Parts: sequence; C-alpha cells; structure tokens
Amino acid sequence: MTLRMTAVVAMASAVLLAGCEAGTRSGQEAPVGTASTAQIKAPSLTGGDSSANLQKRVDQALQGKTIAWVPIALGIPLADIWTQVMRSEAEARGMKLEVRDPNWNTTAALQAVSSLIAEKPDILVVHNPNVQLYAQELARAEAAGIPVIQVNMVSNQKTTAYVGADWPKVGRLLGEEIVRSCGKGSGSSGKVAIVQGEATSAVSLEQMQAAAEVLGKDPSIKIVSNQAANWDASKAHDITATVLQQHPDLCATVGFWGVMQTGAAQAVKSAGLQGKVKVYASGSDGKLDCDNIDSGLITKFLNYNSSSQARSVIAIASFMLQTGLPPSAVRMADYSPLQWMEKGNYDPALCYDTSKPRSPAK
Amino acid sequence: MSVASSSVNGGLLRRLRYRYSARLLLSELLGKRWMEPAIPFALMIGLIVWFSMVTTNYATLGNAQQLGREFAEAGFVAIAMALTVISGGIDLSVGAVFALANLAALVFFQLYQWPVGLVIVATLAIGAGIGAINGFLIGYMRTRPFLTTLVTLIVLRATVDLLGQHFSIPLAMASRTSWTWDVLGVGWIAKLPSNLAILGIVAIVGHFLLSRSRPGWHLTAIGSSRKAARHAGIRVERVLFLTYVMSGTLAAAGGLFYAARLQSSGSDTGIGWEISALTAVVLGGVSLAGGRGTVARALIGAVIVFVLVNGLVRMGFPGALSSTALGAVLLIAVGIDVKWAKNRGKAIQKIYVNPTMVELPPSPSITADGGTAFAENTRLQASEEIGLNQVQGPEDIILDRQDRLYCGTREGWVLRFSGPNFEHREVFARIGGRPLGMAFDRDDNLIVCVGGMGLYGVTPAGKIYKCTDQTQRSLLKLNDDSRLRLADDCDIAPDGTVWFSEATIRYEMHSWFLDGIEGRANGRLIAWNPKTNKTRTVIKNAVFPNGVCVAHDGRSVLFCSSWLCTIYRHWIEGPKAGQTEVFAENLPGYPDNLNRSSDGGYWLAMVGIRSPTFDLMMRHPDVRQRMIKQLPPDEWVYPGINNGCIVKFDESGRALESMWDPGGTKHATVTSMREHKGWLYIGGLENNRIGRVRLPDADPAWNGCDAYWGAKS
Repeated sequence: MTLRMTAVVAMASAVLLAGCEAGTRSGQEAPVGTASTAQIKAPSLTGGDSSANLQKRVDQALQGKTIAWVPIALGIPLADIWTQVMRSEAEARGMKLEVRDPNWNTTAALQAVSSLIAEKPDILVVHNPNVQLYAQELARAEAAGIPVIQVNMVSNQKTTAYVGADWPKVGRLLGEEIVRSCGKGSGSSGKVAIVQGEATSAVSLEQMQAAAEVLGKDPSIKIVSNQAANWDASKAHDITATVLQQHPDLCATVGFWGVMQTGAAQAVKSAGLQGKVKVYASGSDGKLDCDNIDSGLITKFLNYNSSSQARSVIAIASFMLQTGLPPSAVRMADYSPLQWMEKGNYDPALCYDTSKPRSPAK
Repeated sequence: MSVASSSVNGGLLRRLRYRYSARLLLSELLGKRWMEPAIPFALMIGLIVWFSMVTTNYATLGNAQQLGREFAEAGFVAIAMALTVISGGIDLSVGAVFALANLAALVFFQLYQWPVGLVIVATLAIGAGIGAINGFLIGYMRTRPFLTTLVTLIVLRATVDLLGQHFSIPLAMASRTSWTWDVLGVGWIAKLPSNLAILGIVAIVGHFLLSRSRPGWHLTAIGSSRKAARHAGIRVERVLFLTYVMSGTLAAAGGLFYAARLQSSGSDTGIGWEISALTAVVLGGVSLAGGRGTVARALIGAVIVFVLVNGLVRMGFPGALSSTALGAVLLIAVGIDVKWAKNRGKAIQKIYVNPTMVELPPSPSITADGGTAFAENTRLQASEEIGLNQVQGPEDIILDRQDRLYCGTREGWVLRFSGPNFEHREVFARIGGRPLGMAFDRDDNLIVCVGGMGLYGVTPAGKIYKCTDQTQRSLLKLNDDSRLRLADDCDIAPDGTVWFSEATIRYEMHSWFLDGIEGRANGRLIAWNPKTNKTRTVIKNAVFPNGVCVAHDGRSVLFCSSWLCTIYRHWIEGPKAGQTEVFAENLPGYPDNLNRSSDGGYWLAMVGIRSPTFDLMMRHPDVRQRMIKQLPPDEWVYPGINNGCIVKFDESGRALESMWDPGGTKHATVTSMREHKGWLYIGGLENNRIGRVRLPDADPAWNGCDAYWGAKS
C-alpha cells in the first residue's frame, strides 16, 4: 500500500518537473578575470551632452532596479548599518533593496542566494559566511548575468566587486599595535590571546595570516590561545575567561570583530583585569563599538566604517547598471580606509547609530 | 451482478443514498495504511503549489532542479533519523555525523588527495563507525538512545570544531577538482541532480527494505515493543546495532554530497539539522513512539520542512521568524502525532459501520399453532449429546465414510469423534484460524472454510494443505478484497469445483455480527477449481452469503443470504447457467448452513429468529447509525442470533417441516446440521456439544459421501 504512496510522490514530482521549462545548467562557466575591451559594449558618449540628458540616462538605468542583499544575519550593528544605508542610498536613486535574512543559518543563507538567482535581481550583494560556501552560486549568478558585489568577507570565487576591509592590512596593523604594547621592551608578559571569528571566513583566514606574520617576528610575544569563537560574543567570553584563569598575566587579547570581542572584554572586566589586559578589535562604525571604547572595555579599535562601505556598494551597483557592463567585465575591489579609535581620541562622526538613520533627503 | 436488495419498497434515491455512502468511503480510506501520511502529503503539495504562486520563477525546471539539489542532503539525514525513530529510539547525532563526514570528505579529497572512490568509502565508513558506537551502546549496552546520541552529538561537534580550526586554512586554499568529484557534487544523473537521484535510489531501496522485508519488519516490531519483539525471537540487539550503523552511514552520505557540492568546511555545517530532521520525520507521520513509519513518510516530511524554510527565506521573512515557524510546525506535528495515534482507531470505529436499508416483508408465523411449516415444536430437545463440554463452538459438522464425526472449533482445530457412541475424541488437524463450513471431496479430503485464513484441505491422513486464500481483486474497492477474510461455508460440485461463500469482506471473524447491523452487500460467492488452482469470484455484492449447498443434480448451487433471510439458487450448468434466482425468501429467521437431505430436499439451519423490532431497525439505517454513534456496543440492537431451528425444504424451495429447541437449553445456536444414516447431527457456533436426533422416516443407509461421490468399496 505504501508502494502506491511512493508512486504518487513520483508522479507528483514528475508533473512538477514536466510543467516547467528548460533551465540553465549551473556551473562555473563564467569567464574569470578581466574582459577584453571587445567584450565591453558601453555606449560611446560625447562630452558635450546636456546635464538633462545625463540625468535621463541615469534614471533609465537605475529606476525600478532591484538590488538583492544577503547578509549572514540581521540584528547585528554591522549588518544593520549596511542594510539601512544601502536601502536609503538605493531608494534615493530609485532602486529597490531586497533583503534576505538567514539568521546565521548557512543552509538558509545558501538557499537564499540560490533562490535569488532564480528571481534574477539586477545586482546581487552577498556577505560570505566563509570562503567556499557561495563559490558555485556566485559563479552561477554571474553566468546568469547578475553582477555580484561581495561585502567585507570575500569568497574564493571573485566576482565583479569586493567592498570591504583589506584584511591582511587589518591583521598587520593590529599585530604591530600588539607588538608595540606587549613586545620586547614593553615590560609585559608578552602573552597574547587571539579570538578568531569563523575560522573558514576570509576575515579570519587573511587577518590571522598577516597578524601571525607580524607577531612571529618578535620572539618575546607568546600566543597563549588562538581559538575561533564563530562571531559569538558569549563564546568569546567563555574562551577568554578560561585563558585568563590560566594566564592572569595576559598582556592583550585581540578579537576579529568588535561585537564578538565585547564578550572577551567582559571576561577581562569580570576578572578584574580591565586596564591591565589590553583588548583590541576591529569592526564597524556601530554605536555599540563606540560605547565599548568610551566605557573602557575596548582599549583600541580599528574601524573600517561600514556605513561608507554600504555607500560604495551602491555606487558600484549604480556604475554596473549605468554602464551595462557584463558582470565578468569588472573585477574590482574597494578597500575601506581604516581608522584607529581609542577612548577620548576619535571622531564622534565615526559612530553610526541605527536608531538615528542618516538618510538622504528624497 | 448484484443480488443485494430483493424486496423493493421506498424511493430509489433513498436506497441509492444508503447503498453508496461517502462515510463508507471515508472509513475505508482512513483504515488504509497509506492514508496515514495523507495530511502531510496534501500539505506538501499545498505548500509547493502555494509557493509556486507567490514566488517568481518557482515552477521552472531550473528552479525545481536547484531545489532538488539543495534538498537531497537533508533527505539523507531525514531518512537516517527516521530509521532510528521507527526502531523506537532517536539519533540526535545525525547533524554532527553529517558535519564530520563533510569535513572528512574535504580533508581526504583536498588535502590527502585520495582518489574519489576511496574518499567515498572512507567517509561512509566514518559514519558507519560512529553509528556502530551508538548502536553498540543502545543495542547491546541498552543505554537510552536520547542521552547516548546527545553525548555523541556533543563529542562530535567538539571534534568538528577542533579539526575544523586545524584544517580550515589549508582547506580554504585548496582547489583540487576531479571529474568524479564534480559528478558527485554538481553532476546529473538522468536529468536529476546526482545527489537527488542517489537519494531517490536509496529511498526506494530503503522503503522496500523497511516495509517489505524481514529485517525491516523486525525493525518496526522492535519499535512497537522491544519486549514483544524479543519474545518473538527477534535479535533485538543486532537489529538495533545495525539500525544505528545505517543511520550513521546515511548521515555521512549526506555530508559527502554536501562536501562535493559546496567544498565548504564552515563550522556551523549541520548545526540544528537533527532538529529539522526530527521535525521532518514527525511531520511526515513517523510516530515518535516508534514502530510506525516509512521512508516515504520521512521524505514527505523532509520536503515540507525544506519547502517551508526555503519559501520563507525567499519571501524575505526575517530568519528568526522562519526558525520560530519551524518550531511551531514541530510542535503542531507532535501534537497531531499523539492525537492521531490515539484517536484514529476510534474515529474509524465510529464511522466504519455503515448501515444500509434492508426491507423485509412481515415474517411468517412461527407460533406452535400458526399452521406454517415453521411452527415451533420441541423436537430438538430430544437430541442426544455428543462430546458434551469437550468441544467449543462446532460451527459445522460432517461425517465420513467410516461414520466418524468431524467438527471445527474455536481453537482452530478440527476434532474427530469416533467409536460406536462417538466417545473417542481426537484432534484431527490443527489448522488455525476459525474452521467453519466443511465438505468431503471425491478423494475423501476434508475441505474446510477457515475464517481469517481461506479455504484449506486436510487429507485423510491429517495433512493440512492450502486450497486458496485469495481471489481476484475488485478494481474499485478500497478495501483489499483479494485476500479471503471470512470464508464461511463450502460445497463441491460434481466436476470438483469447490463453491464457497465469503460472508463479508469488511469484518473479521471477531466482529462478523457488526455486518448484521450494517446489512450491506459485503459478501461474495467464490469458486475454486482444484484442477487449475484458479479462484474466481462468481457473485460479488451478496448480503452475508452463508450456507452453500450444491443441488442434488449438481446443476446449481444454493446459497443463503443471512440478513436478507433469503436462499438463492445460482445455476452452474444448463440453459440458465450463470443466472441467479430466489430459491426461498422471507424466512422467519437468518439462514445459516444448508445441506442435502436423504429425500431429495435440503436441511437449513437458522441461526436466529427475526424480530419485528430489528426488522424495523433494518428499514431505518439512520436509527442504527445513531445507535452506533451514541450508545456503547453492548447496548446496541443486534439481529437475534441466540435461538434457532432447523427447516427442511424440498427441491422447489417449499418449507416442509421444522425442528425447534425453545429456550435453547440444548442447542442455543444452530448453525449447521448433517444427515447421516438415519440421524440428523446438529452443530452450533456457540455450543458446547454436538447433538443428534433420529429421523424415523429417513433412508437409514443414506450418507453424504455416497450421495456426492458414489459408494466406495
């Protein structure tokens, strides 16, 4: 009897499949690398065109276009700032921002990306959970003619644009800062704890390599702990609390993301070591990060300014739509300028409060 | 052809209404095993249709293929979970095994550069190994599945984290590809994504293994009751061990495909998959209590979960909300699972009995001074007892050429009484089931209708053999009527064909009287030809066909319809062959077995006498329906089956005389009688004896075997 059930399922799926049209095959068929000029079919323009015509052409290219955006999760300052700024910037140009929230679930995230490709947005913006997960899908998206912009965490599959921090540089700057305060001649124990994010994400991989290189040059620096907290503040807290029990003389802890490192900072504070153990992090221009700096939880912070990253994303999207270039014609990156912030020594304009959006006038 | 309602009164519409009842269809539908996942199946189709309507480009081949590819790995994990749940346990480690297998496959392929074949074997072996640890602990050490696999989950998760950190950098840099690896990950098999195609094969094999094979039945039996399974001789430990090995292997297969497809060693791979798998399994109708479920159901559930989550993601629902939705679905599914398991039987019971209209004319008089052939007398009270308190319920009786007396009993035996006064009792054959009507064939084999089993034969030496236990299946009936449920009485035509009745296909031996409340044409007359070994349903839609007797000339078969109080004659030879006509109708009671008499007539046993009350009830199906719904079964009005009589008919169907036992002191039920050498032997379904009365006017030499097959030296 259950045999019949199986037959019915099979028939139902057959009907489902039969009722559909032929689709495209997935795969990494998109040409990689810079395209030759022959492939680029941008309209040739005269320099003496009127401003009104320019305005018209821009409107034609942008009005009603859809930018699809898949962060790892919403509800965190980083992603919320990106989303808020991207939306207001996009809407100011007559475009629409479609957001999918996988809520840290990579399975859902991958499905979101896949399904967006089926829906054919004009631009796809992704925040890669790790270097491999989306690789195939991003190639598939470009093959389907959708330019893909990757934000802050890059995939092994490079696409039209990467907008985000230069992570080796972040790693190097943080490493040099640590060497300055914990290295030879600092009079400290030289013990350093590293709290990585998701170990398979580009942020962790690239930052770690660069930092390790710098730290390795100073023999008095000892890395006593190097663990991945997977962007989770409570995990960072637990790891750091344990490290502090073993090494109360820890010189510094460095975290790969401000929000996560808040957990480590709290552990330092509850161990009564605030001020003695230096807490370093890099992160966005969120209000939370600024508050942590003000309250002394974070000693020194490297800001990559996520609100301006969001503006870059929209600018590149606008560029792709206005030029009509095929996705693979461009392989660019816009590395975010970095700024050091420490208590009493930073520009308050660097703190973006999502409850007070800086929306452009409409 | 139908001989359902012979007497015609009342409107056609009214009769049609009771003849074709939607409730009947529903009750039989609910009773089907494949109906259990009906709700999840409808939900699955509904969700797919709905998302096709609200989402752009959903119902396209490309999207269906993409969805299939993304679904397959979850499908493997769901089957893995389902197996353990059906076995009465749970495997919470499926998600962690999945993650470990994913990482292992990537390390083997990318870093160790093993050939793909070896990667597959090694990865599956890891899953099997973890399954073996779970299985050993749960099967042999008898640890609790929940806690055991929870611990495995935690240990494996930590292992994945540690290994992941160790391998993440080299894995992120690695970029080895190979043709076979790509086939596994992004390839196609017959236009299907490779992982989906293989999932399909695994599912079909698994489905048959689980529902159609001995190991699968053992697994289900253990899930139903571990203790009972052990008592039944099932090697519980080994089966459980293998179940968890299978579960581990399947989860690892999912991980392998995931690795080949995405090359991603992300640390959250497989996190929470055990919950989605559990949701899927329960949603599909696999019972959490164990012992109930199939692979197909697990996959239906998995599709629902997948489509739901995928659909919500597509519609841009915030992630937290989709997780909550999944949780809510799990909660509802578990609730329905509990309620359904508890109440399905009750629901079927409430609507299974579907009374129809039976209109009988007023019953002829049975009073002692009524002047009819049915006039009550006390002739049966003079009967001699045979095997008093040595026999339970001899429904039918028969005598052989050596004057030995046979009867079937409640225990499933055929007893034989021999000696001058039948004082010697022996068990002639232990057939099982409920032996009912009997007949001797030309070679003195005893042919027996066995309720619950079919038609069986016993050689004179006592060897039991099966004649037939199935007939052709009706195409339009939901109840599988190919199996014989309640073979009732048989007789043998001169050409050797065994004609037998099956009283009802909707009820079993233990609930046959419910068929009386229903009064529906649920029975049939069947012929089995021993030469060709073919079984053929000759008349379907007969109302409780009971006694069967081949006429003296062998050209027709008489059969009774108990609830219609009618005897029919079905012609098997001559110009009227194939036609059915009424032999005797409007009897005062419910006819049971029918046998030849020495003077060319027929003896009929009436199992009970009609009452005006029940006749009236039979005319009003709604009243009976209400009775069934609103009253407990012991307060229902049943056809009277507690006091009967024996009636003799001539060849034309005219009643000649009757024999009664008023008060039922000796023969509380009379279901059969057999004339043999001047005596009439009497059997009864509920009696504790066989009786016999002398027939002063009968031929003292006449006996059934000679009458049917001629004298033998």
